[in-house]
Amino acid sequence: MGEVNQSGIAKFLNNIRSLKKSFLGSFLRSGKPTSDKSRAAVMFNNFFLHIQGVKTHINTLRPTYTFGFGLISLYLLIIVVISGVLLMVYYNPSVTEAYNKIKDLKYVVFGGNLLRNIHKWSGEGMIIFVLLHMARVFYTGSYKKGREFNWVIGIVLLILMFGMNLSGYMLPWDQLAYWALLIVANIINSPKEITDSLGITQYFDIGGFFKELFLGGTNPTQESLTRVYLLHIWLLPMFLFLFLGIHFWRIRKDGGLTRPDTFERKDSDVYYVNPPEKTGGIFPTYKTYGLMELARGRTPAVDKDVENTVLSWPNLLIAELAIFVLTLAGVIAYAYFVDAPFKEPANPLIPENPAKAPWYFLGLQELLSYSAFMGGVGLPGLALLGLALIPYLDREEDRVGIWFTNRQGVTVALQSFIIGTIVVIGILAFVVNFGWFRNWWPNVPQILITLINPGNIWVGFMIVYSLFVIKKTGSTRMGAIALFTMFLVSYVIFTAMGTYFRGPNWDFFWSKSQWPIH
Amino acid sequence: MYSRFYLSVLLISGLVLITFLVFATYRELNPEWKKYQLEYRDLLIKNAPNEAARKKARSIKIEHQQIYIKPLKKVDRCMNCHRGVDDPLMKDAKVPHKLHSGDYLKKHPVSKFGCTLCHYGQGRATNKKDAHGKGRDTHWDYPLIPFKYIQSSCAKCHDYLFLKDNGGEMVVEGERLFREKGCRGCHKLNGVGGDLGKPLDIIGSQPIAYFPMKYVVGERNTYNWLKQHFLDPRKIVPGSEMRVFLSEKEADLLTTYTLTLRAEEMPRQFRAIRYTTPVPKDGESLYKMYCVACHGNGKISAYDEILKRTIPAIMNPAFLKIADDKNLERIIKEGRKGTPMTSWKRTAAGLRDEEIRNIIKFITKDRPDERPEPFDYKRFVTDTKHGKELFNVRCALCHGKDGKGGKDHLGLNLRNPAVQKFVDPEFLAMTIRDGRKGTPMPAFGKTGVGLSDQDIADLVAYIRSFSDKGKK
Repeated sequence: MGEVNQSGIAKFLNNIRSLKKSFLGSFLRSGKPTSDKSRAAVMFNNFFLHIQGVKTHINTLRPTYTFGFGLISLYLLIIVVISGVLLMVYYNPSVTEAYNKIKDLKYVVFGGNLLRNIHKWSGEGMIIFVLLHMARVFYTGSYKKGREFNWVIGIVLLILMFGMNLSGYMLPWDQLAYWALLIVANIINSPKEITDSLGITQYFDIGGFFKELFLGGTNPTQESLTRVYLLHIWLLPMFLFLFLGIHFWRIRKDGGLTRPDTFERKDSDVYYVNPPEKTGGIFPTYKTYGLMELARGRTPAVDKDVENTVLSWPNLLIAELAIFVLTLAGVIAYAYFVDAPFKEPANPLIPENPAKAPWYFLGLQELLSYSAFMGGVGLPGLALLGLALIPYLDREEDRVGIWFTNRQGVTVALQSFIIGTIVVIGILAFVVNFGWFRNWWPNVPQILITLINPGNIWVGFMIVYSLFVIKKTGSTRMGAIALFTMFLVSYVIFTAMGTYFRGPNWDFFWSKSQWPIH
Repeated sequence: MYSRFYLSVLLISGLVLITFLVFATYRELNPEWKKYQLEYRDLLIKNAPNEAARKKARSIKIEHQQIYIKPLKKVDRCMNCHRGVDDPLMKDAKVPHKLHSGDYLKKHPVSKFGCTLCHYGQGRATNKKDAHGKGRDTHWDYPLIPFKYIQSSCAKCHDYLFLKDNGGEMVVEGERLFREKGCRGCHKLNGVGGDLGKPLDIIGSQPIAYFPMKYVVGERNTYNWLKQHFLDPRKIVPGSEMRVFLSEKEADLLTTYTLTLRAEEMPRQFRAIRYTTPVPKDGESLYKMYCVACHGNGKISAYDEILKRTIPAIMNPAFLKIADDKNLERIIKEGRKGTPMTSWKRTAAGLRDEEIRNIIKFITKDRPDERPEPFDYKRFVTDTKHGKELFNVRCALCHGKDGKGGKDHLGLNLRNPAVQKFVDPEFLAMTIRDGRKGTPMPAFGKTGVGLSDQDIADLVAYIRSFSDKGKK
C-alpha cells in the first residue's frame, strides 16, 4: 500500500539501500544455503558448481577411496595456468631474449623465481598425480560400466599433459632446453630407422618430415622456439581444456564416481561427512524432479542408493576446498625450497654429455638407446594403444569400485609387481653387463635389433605373462591388473635408470659422483 | 558441523600456506643487496663533510640499481652492492663500497660502460655468488676476471701501441710473448698459422664447457685452465704436443693476451684505435712467430720428447751449405708430409711468398760462402747389397738397424717419406760425405771416415730402397 504513495526518488533511494540484499539475491537466486532444499539449489543454480551433483555419495568422500589424486591433478593444472599467465607477462619467445628474461625473473622480478618454481613443479607434479589418478581408476575398476570411453579420453589427456610439460621444458632456451629439444626431434625422427632398414627413406621419409615440421628446419633455431611456444601456450592447452571438459561432463553423466554395489556405511564416515537433516531423498519420491538428486549408470535411476548420499553443499565443497589449499600449500612449500633447473645459455657447439630429455621421458630415452624406432615410436605407441584398449578387452562388470576387485586381485598385483621388478632389473643388468647384438656382432643388420631388443623382450614378456594370468585365473580383469602393474613398474624403473644411472655417452654409473668430469 | 577430517586438512594446510607466503614475501623484500646499501648509507652519513651533505645522505633511497647499456644490450646490476664505486667520498671505504681504483672511471663512466664489460661476471644477477659467477651451479661462462688478467679487457677497444704507455703493459707484453714464442707455428690466428693446434681466434670467449676441466686445480674456469695449461700442457690435456716452456709470470702474461682473443667485437663508438699497429715483416720476427716453437735457435738437432721425433737443426751452417734457397723454399712452402712440419704457402698456413723469402733470408744468414763439391750420383753403378752391409756397420748405430731412428738413437728417421721422396740422392750423398758440422753426424767421405764415393753411392742407393720396400 505504501509503495503507491512513495515518490519516485524515495523508491530509488530504497533501491540503493537494499542494493546489497538485492544484488546478492540475484546472484544466489535460491537464498542462503541454510536448508537442505536451498543447499541443493545452490549447487544446480551455479554455473561452476553445476558440474557436480546436488548430492554426493559417501564413498566418494572417503579419502581412502580416491586419495584426491584426480582433484589434485586438476588443481595443479589451475595453478599451472595462473602462474603460466603471470610468467607470460615477462617471457619473450626469442632465442636472444628468452634466456635473459628467465634470468630477470630469477633476480629482479618480485617473487619471479618462486613463480617460475611454482609453474615448473606444479606442471611436473601433474605427471605424478595424473599417473596416480590413473592407477586409482584402474585398480578400483572404474573404467567399466559406461566409463570405457572416458578412460580413453583420460589417455588423450595424459598425452596432452606430457606434451605441455615437454614443450615448457624448452622455453628457457638454456643448454637443457636446447639439447632436450634436439633429443625430442630425434625421437620424432626415429621412424627413419625402419624406413632406412626397408630402404624406402628417399621415397617416404616420415620421420624426417615430422622432425622438420616440429623444428621448422633441421636444427633447433628461432623457428623451433616459436613453434614450441605456440604448442605450449595455445595449441596443447586448448585441446587439453576441451578434453578435460568432456572428461568431467562424462563423469557427471555417469552419476559421479564409481562405488561398490555392496556399499555399507561405517561409523568412521562421520569424520568425512555431515549427514543430511533427513535420510533418503530431499524431495518426495512421487515428484519427478527427484531425478536431479542422482543420475547413475546409462540411464538415470530414481531412489537407488539415495540413503547413502549426502548434500554436495557443504560436504563435497569443503573437501574440495581442503584439497585445493593442501595442493597449493604443498606446491608453494616445495617451490620455496627447490629451484627449477636452469643452466648455461643454449650453445649448439657445446653438446651436453649426456644430453638428457626431461626426467619423465628418460625411460623412453633408455628404450631409445636400444632401438630408436622402438623406443621413440613403436613401444610407446604400443603402450598407449594397450592402455586405451584395456576397458574393451576386460569387460567383467562385477565388483566395480573396489580396490583390486578382490583378494585374488591383491595377490595378482603383488605377484606382478615382484616378478616385473625382478625381470626389468634383470634385463637392465644383462644389457649393462653384456651389451646387445651390436656389441657382439658389429655388422648385424639394424632391422634385427629393431625387432629383437631388450625393450621388445620386456613388452613381449608383459603380454605373455598377462595371458598366462588370464588363463590361470580365468578372469580378464586379473590379466589387466597384471599388465597394468607391470607397465607402472617398468615406467618407474626405466625412468629411474635413465635419471640416476646413466652418465656421459649413456654409460652405466652407480652414482653421478663417478661421472668423469669434463 | 562440517566434516572434521576435511576441516582439519583445510586448517593445517591453510596455516602451512600462509607461513610459506610470509616466508617468501620476507625473502623477496630482503634481498642480499639491501644490507650493503644500508651500510653504504651509514658510511655516507658518517663521511659527510657538512650538515647539508649529511641530510642528503640520510634521504637516499634504498632501491634497486641498474644500468642498461643500449648499444650492447647489456644490463649491469652490480651497483646494488657497489653503490660507492664512483663516489670520491668512498676512497678509503672497504670493498664493496670502495671507490674504483685509478682514474679509469673518468674516461669510462659507469653509466656508459657499466662494469661487466671489463670485469665480466653476471651483470644481471643480484646476489654475490651468481654475480661473480663463482662455482659451477651459477651456470655462468664468464666469471669475474682476476685482477692480474684485467688488462685483457683494455685490448677490446684500445690498440697495443696506445696501451704500451697508458696502463696496459701486461697485455702488451703478453702480445709480444705470443709473437716470440712461436705460437702461430701450430695455431692459426686470422687464418694464418700452422694447423697442429686449434685456431685461437675466439679462444678467450669460449664457454667453460669448451675446455676439458678434469685436471684443473682450483676453481674450474677459463682463466685457471689457460694459465695451468701454459705452465704444463700435458698435465691439463694428457698427450698434448704443445711445446711451451714458460715461467709463472710469462704464463700470466700470455693468459692475459689469450683472453683478448674474443668472438664479439665492440661497437665502433666504444673503440679507440688511434694508431695502426705495424705488423713485423722482417725475417727474425717472422721466424720467432712461426718457427721458434719447434726449431728453437735452429742450431741443435736433438730428439724431442714431446713430438716424439728428432727436430732438424735448420740453421746449422753445414746443412745450409748443401741446402740451397730453392730447396728450402720448397720445404717451407710444401711442408714435410708425415711430420709436424706444415705447408706454409698462401693457400695452406697462409704465409705470403715475400714473408717466406724473409724467413729464408734469416735462416741462411750464417750460410758459408763456399759451395760444396758436387756429387755426381748418376755416374755410379750402385750395389744395394754392399750398401746394406755398409749401413749396418756405419749407420745403424745412430739411425737404427731399420733406419727409423727414434728415441734411443741420435739420428733422424731415414724412412720418413720426406727424406725418401723429396730429398734428392745428390743431397743425401753430400750429407754422408761431408757430415753435418755441429751435429753428431760425422763426415764419412775422404776427409773423415774414408769411404770412397762408390761406397757412398751404394749407401744412398740402399737408403733410397727403403721406400721401395715400404710400397710392397
